[in-house]
Amino acid sequence: MNIAPVQHQRHARTRTRGIGLVARTVLLFAALAFALALGTTAAQDDDRFFVYISNEYSADISVIDSSTDTVVATIDITGRPGEVRPRGMAVSPDGRYIYVSVSDFMPTVETNEDTITVIDVLTNEVVNRIAAGGNPERVAATPDGTEVWAALEAIAQGGGWNVETGEEIATFRVGIEAEGVDVSPDGRWVYISAETTHTVTVFDRENLEVVKHVLVGNRPREVRFAHDGSVAYVSGEVGGNVTVIETEDHTVIATIDLGLDSRPVEMAVDPVRDRLYVVGGGTSAVYVIDTTTYELIETIREGMGRRPWGIAITPDGRKIYTADGLSDSSTVIDAETLTVIGQIQTGRGSHSATVGVIPRED
Amino acid sequence: MLLAGVALANPIVIGVIVPDADEATDELTAAVARAAEHGAAMAEEEHVFNAELFGFDFAVVLERATGADAVVAAAERMVAEEDALAIAGGVSFAEASALAAWSAERGIPYFNTGSPDDRLRHGLCEATSFHIEPSAAMYVDALAGWYVRSGFRNWFFVIGDDQASADQYERTLWSLRERHFGAREAGRVGFDGDVDAVVSAVQRANTDLVLLYVRPDDQVRLLEALDEADVQVLVAGFPYPAAQTRTFFAASRAAAPRLGVDQRATAWEATLDAYGAREINARYLAMFDEPMESTAWATYMAVKVVFEAATLGGDASPEGVMAYIAGPQGVFDIWKGIGVSFRSWDHQLRQSLYLIDISAEREDPFSMVSLVGELPAIYMPGTDPVERLDQLGDLRDRTRCAF
Repeated sequence: MNIAPVQHQRHARTRTRGIGLVARTVLLFAALAFALALGTTAAQDDDRFFVYISNEYSADISVIDSSTDTVVATIDITGRPGEVRPRGMAVSPDGRYIYVSVSDFMPTVETNEDTITVIDVLTNEVVNRIAAGGNPERVAATPDGTEVWAALEAIAQGGGWNVETGEEIATFRVGIEAEGVDVSPDGRWVYISAETTHTVTVFDRENLEVVKHVLVGNRPREVRFAHDGSVAYVSGEVGGNVTVIETEDHTVIATIDLGLDSRPVEMAVDPVRDRLYVVGGGTSAVYVIDTTTYELIETIREGMGRRPWGIAITPDGRKIYTADGLSDSSTVIDAETLTVIGQIQTGRGSHSATVGVIPRED
Repeated sequence: MLLAGVALANPIVIGVIVPDADEATDELTAAVARAAEHGAAMAEEEHVFNAELFGFDFAVVLERATGADAVVAAAERMVAEEDALAIAGGVSFAEASALAAWSAERGIPYFNTGSPDDRLRHGLCEATSFHIEPSAAMYVDALAGWYVRSGFRNWFFVIGDDQASADQYERTLWSLRERHFGAREAGRVGFDGDVDAVVSAVQRANTDLVLLYVRPDDQVRLLEALDEADVQVLVAGFPYPAAQTRTFFAASRAAAPRLGVDQRATAWEATLDAYGAREINARYLAMFDEPMESTAWATYMAVKVVFEAATLGGDASPEGVMAYIAGPQGVFDIWKGIGVSFRSWDHQLRQSLYLIDISAEREDPFSMVSLVGELPAIYMPGTDPVERLDQLGDLRDRTRCAF
């Protein structure tokens, strides 16, 4: 992959603890089959992954090795915590790059800080800053890894960029306070939620046009497609629910009520079970939903960190990681037993979690 | 790009009435008028944007009027000529009660954005009225909660010669008796304009907290006199919307450099950063170059509630909007971090309130205030969120409202 020149000459400092060793180890245990299953050419372990936790207030990314549940690197975004904040993230299919939504703390002012920052996880260096503008809050990568799409919170827009050239593909209008974004597994649709308008905007990547705005639960935070792409889930923080959108014609087919006080935020779809995991930010809980019945089957509270905002699950379906904003930690949950099995200290104000395969070094 | 399955009137129009301020208007009323007008303007801009997403037209029509007769005439005009679906406004009890009575007669929903008077939630309540502005009972409960916990034990009341002030005083005694134990009445004095009499009574009292249950302009006068008399206790006032403005804070600080910079209760605070409030406060600041005052917030929320009731309920008739609000689905996001609803027994919007501290030094309007408290605390897992919010205000067992 050719990465375009860095647009803003402010490289990240990296505080690396053993990343070289980790990368070398990765090569020894590369699992090509899993990568092929993801449609990539990268190879990696079938039971080791990197978990990335964005830390809003320390302005860095904690990199957790899922085999040891230890932080193996901390990647600074700018070296200026308190001035910029990384929030939503996505990982390229081959695991090589993470795309981080970075903005300042001035919601209405577009600055050079409003970027999608591209980090090469082999070097932990920022290799590009795509000038997204408008406070990008969350970002999603296309399944083929060629594009990233972001929710631009301050300007009520969605936007897409070519990750190699940094060129803008399209921007389009969504509701006010855009937040969540996901790309369907077939790459056709971009869904973007908007907190104030209570909508999900459906964007057709093929024809580059908005096809629909769908009303969903109150203050929609995140959007997640099911792995088969048949439905998408939308967390409604103030509504206390998850809206299920059928993707054939983009209509709401169910609203899963988690309770007014559940405060759902990020979600993770289980790759091997019929489950959706939803973090309750204000309740320090993880809600486990059966995606065949849309019923709440478990609420995990014991041992949870405080104010979990982000959540991700490893591709093998074994472990769930949360990003806990008030305890500056990541809670590790065994997906089989649905119990908390560990806490990992991360950075200040942990916001989002995502998981990537460990990339090859060559 | 229509909103599937929703048959909406086109256009949807909401009428907002703001005080008719001119050069002769006192600066506190002018500040409230400006905030209401700006709140309406921002609400229109954002909801026109939202309506365009769904392919229908939306407008906020605004009339400037002051006094009971004038606001009712304005409301009538907006309904008759603009086909307004709902009316918001009213900054005094007289205006709000007149609009409430008018709305009941016309079957048009009315949103009270400026009068905390409890009579509107009790004997004068109307099924067509909805109160965005917190009730006096809610403010009193919040003050009692904060000041009792802060250790103020002997409360002295200065009571204006009007019914609202008397009601606030009686409600405070009830709150201290039934909800917030630990403080007692140390004395009271009526205020009929005689500032010296108040100063003298306060100086004689064995008190650690003086509550001024008088109009905002009288609060400033009394603060000045008490400050000059070197009174050494905390002095706070009833948080009428005008007494929640930066204009009031600046006036109280200028008049009483020592006593005028203490803590005050508010319904909204422009420096609130959590719950997405950073975004709405920033948009308002960018649009008007001034902090979002409580009345601006309330006016914006009135428009938002009507818009959402019409679109989410799929019925833009007055009856449809009122049915949605009163129904179980009537939960709204008001940037206070928790879904809120209107109480079924008096149509008061549940919500948390804020305690702010006025800076003694900072000059710019935005940072002259610090947010120091919230009541009730909304993050209390394991408790019922509605009961949590109902810690403020009158519950069903106290209501004298009969719809």
